[in-house]
Amino acid sequence: MALPASTARRPRYGGTLRVEIAAALNSLDPAVAAPNPEISSAKDQFVELIGSARADRSSPTSASASPFRITAWEPAKHATLVANDESAGGHPFVDSIEIQMGRSAKDRLLDLELSKTDLAEIPAEEARRAAERGVRLSTSQPDELIALVFVSARPLAEDSRAREALAQAIDRASIANFILQKEGEPAGGLLPQWSSGTAFLFSTVADPGRAKEQWSRIAGSPKILLGYDAGDALEQAVAERIAVNAREAGISMSTIATPGSSPVPAKADAKLVRLRMSSSHPRIALTSFLAALDPVAGIDASPLPDSASPGQMFEREQAIVSSRWVVPLVWLPQVYGLGRRVRDWKAPGPGESWPLADVWLDDMGTTAGGAK
Amino acid sequence: MTFRIKLFIVFTFALLLSVGLVAVGVTAVTRRAFDQLNHQYSDAAVAQFSREFARRELDVTHLVQGIADAESTVRMAIDLSRPQSDVSIYVNDAHGVAQSHQLDFLDFVSSDGSIVSSAEWAARFGYKMVWVTQPVDWPSRGSFLMKVDTPNGPELGVIAVSTVRVGDKNLYVVGGQRLGKEFLASLVLPTGMRALLYQNLTPDFQSHILLDQSGPVAQADRFAPFIERAKQQSSQQRFEIFWTGNPASAEEFHALSLMGRQGDLLGVILVGSSQYEVVTLTRRIRLLALGVVGVGVCLGILLSWWGAAGVTRPVLQLAEGARRVSAGDWETRVDVKGRNEIGELARTFNHMTEQLNEQRERLVQAERVAAWREIARRLAHELKNPLFPLQTTVENLQRAKERNPEQFEEVFRESTGILLSEIDTLEKIVGRFSDFAKMPQPELGPVKLNDVVRSVLKLFEAQFSAVGRPPITPEMHLDDELPTIQADLTLLHRAIENLVLNAMDAMPAGGVVMLRTTHDACEVHLEISDTGQGLTPEECERLFTPYYTTKQHGTGLGLAIVQSVVSDHGGRISVESESGVGTSFHIALPIARPQPPPTEVPAMAEAERI
Repeated sequence: MALPASTARRPRYGGTLRVEIAAALNSLDPAVAAPNPEISSAKDQFVELIGSARADRSSPTSASASPFRITAWEPAKHATLVANDESAGGHPFVDSIEIQMGRSAKDRLLDLELSKTDLAEIPAEEARRAAERGVRLSTSQPDELIALVFVSARPLAEDSRAREALAQAIDRASIANFILQKEGEPAGGLLPQWSSGTAFLFSTVADPGRAKEQWSRIAGSPKILLGYDAGDALEQAVAERIAVNAREAGISMSTIATPGSSPVPAKADAKLVRLRMSSSHPRIALTSFLAALDPVAGIDASPLPDSASPGQMFEREQAIVSSRWVVPLVWLPQVYGLGRRVRDWKAPGPGESWPLADVWLDDMGTTAGGAK
Repeated sequence: MTFRIKLFIVFTFALLLSVGLVAVGVTAVTRRAFDQLNHQYSDAAVAQFSREFARRELDVTHLVQGIADAESTVRMAIDLSRPQSDVSIYVNDAHGVAQSHQLDFLDFVSSDGSIVSSAEWAARFGYKMVWVTQPVDWPSRGSFLMKVDTPNGPELGVIAVSTVRVGDKNLYVVGGQRLGKEFLASLVLPTGMRALLYQNLTPDFQSHILLDQSGPVAQADRFAPFIERAKQQSSQQRFEIFWTGNPASAEEFHALSLMGRQGDLLGVILVGSSQYEVVTLTRRIRLLALGVVGVGVCLGILLSWWGAAGVTRPVLQLAEGARRVSAGDWETRVDVKGRNEIGELARTFNHMTEQLNEQRERLVQAERVAAWREIARRLAHELKNPLFPLQTTVENLQRAKERNPEQFEEVFRESTGILLSEIDTLEKIVGRFSDFAKMPQPELGPVKLNDVVRSVLKLFEAQFSAVGRPPITPEMHLDDELPTIQADLTLLHRAIENLVLNAMDAMPAGGVVMLRTTHDACEVHLEISDTGQGLTPEECERLFTPYYTTKQHGTGLGLAIVQSVVSDHGGRISVESESGVGTSFHIALPIARPQPPPTEVPAMAEAERI
């Protein structure tokens, strides 16, 4: 939700920024931090924030690039960061940040409505409902891909007709429009249109007739088992919709919830994955995708050379997509809910950190701020 | 088998039959009563299910109508009636509404039949639910049973449809509640009864969709044939399942078909009632009946024995009295007790013995008189013959003395000779009477009857072929296995001599005298037969009477002596005769030592004493 530029005011210092996130870190060490099962798209940024703040905890007076340092830490629940006057950028606008970890999407949205928090991440599929309830939203470019990945070495997954049949059966538009409430967009390729510029070349239209034809060529009565992250409600909804699409196309299919920590489900022929772009640069993003998919799908995961041209990247992308080992479904943006007094927050793009040092709090809470 | 045993058996059998019939009758009546009670329980449970089902249908209808009437639903209908309306914003609405209205199934369906939102299968948005768009007056249709598709497969539900009409477009609200174990749990059934629900979701019987209130039913395969039968016949069915070999494990089921909107069979309700209580109670009653029967039988046996003894005791006393009478105890009397038939019989018996005794006394007196007369007649006859010569000789002597004294000596010598001869005859007559009167008691010893027979025949050999006499041919048919008997050899020899002599006298023109010996387990038998002219029946009757004879010069004592000897040996003698064919005497003598003869004083002994 964009606010009119005429409402911009001069930044002010002071105040405590209250943040609620889904992730719940058990340790200050990002290497051993165990987030809660709920998927948090902001987890990476939070880990990065905590990591930078932790470096100043032992010597609070030492100069550091981090604008904040940790002063209180309650594993998986709460963290307090205070402004680091020794930061290279000087004293940030807010004096401190109170971070509540492990908050559910429902609680975060409610706290935003009740002004109990200033900044909270919002699931993309809830963005529309949140906006209807008057919550200010800050939405990034679509940078998270939900894709269906066939698990290599599974007999059914190795059958290209089965992969093709299922890929043709999926109605991406309904997933984007209904499940994501139009906050996402159908994905045909591995990179978004805004990044690669070639996404429009990949079809996102379902073809149930072709799906039936391909499936009918498979002997016997196979059944595709689709796995999804047990803690991810969005993945579950998408998986069930895919099951309905497959059923209508005559494909026998069922879904199974698997632990989120399991990269390769034990029984599933395919699984849903979420891939967040590590960079807005297409080559870097594609390379990171390939690295993430390598343990699961039977694809060529070799990294792209630095000198790879857009054409080469498209060919690699097209080869993977046409093999149907990876079936891109939808692109999701990162959505943040903002309190009324939060100013100058901008949803970070791929590879970017939270711009907490730039955020300031308007004491005229009823006055609209300048978010996105 | 004695009369008492027979009577006892009859009494006992009648008692057992009566008690058995009563026991069977009680058991049958009890069983029928329990069956009726059981059927009433089943019927009540089925009725309760029907009421609960109807109530559930009404609830669902009201709930769905309430959702359709809600403002949010009306707004949805208005929004969806607009061109290019965005249905995506309603995709998750059904879930919350269904939860708030306690519905398991809820679908918002647009005018073209597309699912806007589905509570039971959220991912089905956009797909068609065509049947709901058919021209049906859904509000008046009420609820109905329906197979509902869910992510977990088809389920059975009580469904109602309501419509929200905006302009020319309808928003269909399709809601319902699951018909499953929760519904079964809501039924309040008596102890020992349970309700099962088979959801007819697949063509073939599936054991896992036969539910009770706790989930899938154990040993569901046992129901397969009955479910199949219920599927083929929509009428109510009753059947029984024995879970083990124990009849108490039986469970009777009442199958009720559940029809869908289009008359298709969607489910079968099975109301089962355990037969444990019935069987246990029946067993207890049966055991009690058996106990009563046992006690009754024991008591009945005792009473039967007592009754039989009461009936037979006087009869036995009568029998004992009759036996004593037959043994010669004419003074026997039976105790008379009671005024019933047995008492009357006893009194009659006593009266009869008194009468018999009196008649016997009179008969003895008559026989004694007759015997005296016969003796007197025979004695007169015997004595008359020698007396006449004596008289004439004495008269000759008197005449010779008076008229011819010179010849008197010669006449005297001749007359004395005659007198002595006749006196001798008189002595012989008196001697024979004396011998008969002094018949000795037999001195028993081992005797072989065959040897006696041979000895007698050897004695008569010369007479059989005497010159001037028609020949008599003796025949012997002797039993080689004839046992030795206890007898007086002399007396027996004499008796057989008499019979052979009698046979010879009966055949003046010659003939055959045959002697045959045989034996059985108790007696030896001797038959002596001739081929004479035979005897008349009257002669046969009087043949053994002393001094009775059919011969011109017989004494009439021969056969009387034979009868006396046989009687003294504990035997018996009989005669058979046929005129013109011959006569046969049959003697039977006991093999064992004979009983002493009765102490009755024979008439002849008394006659001798006289």
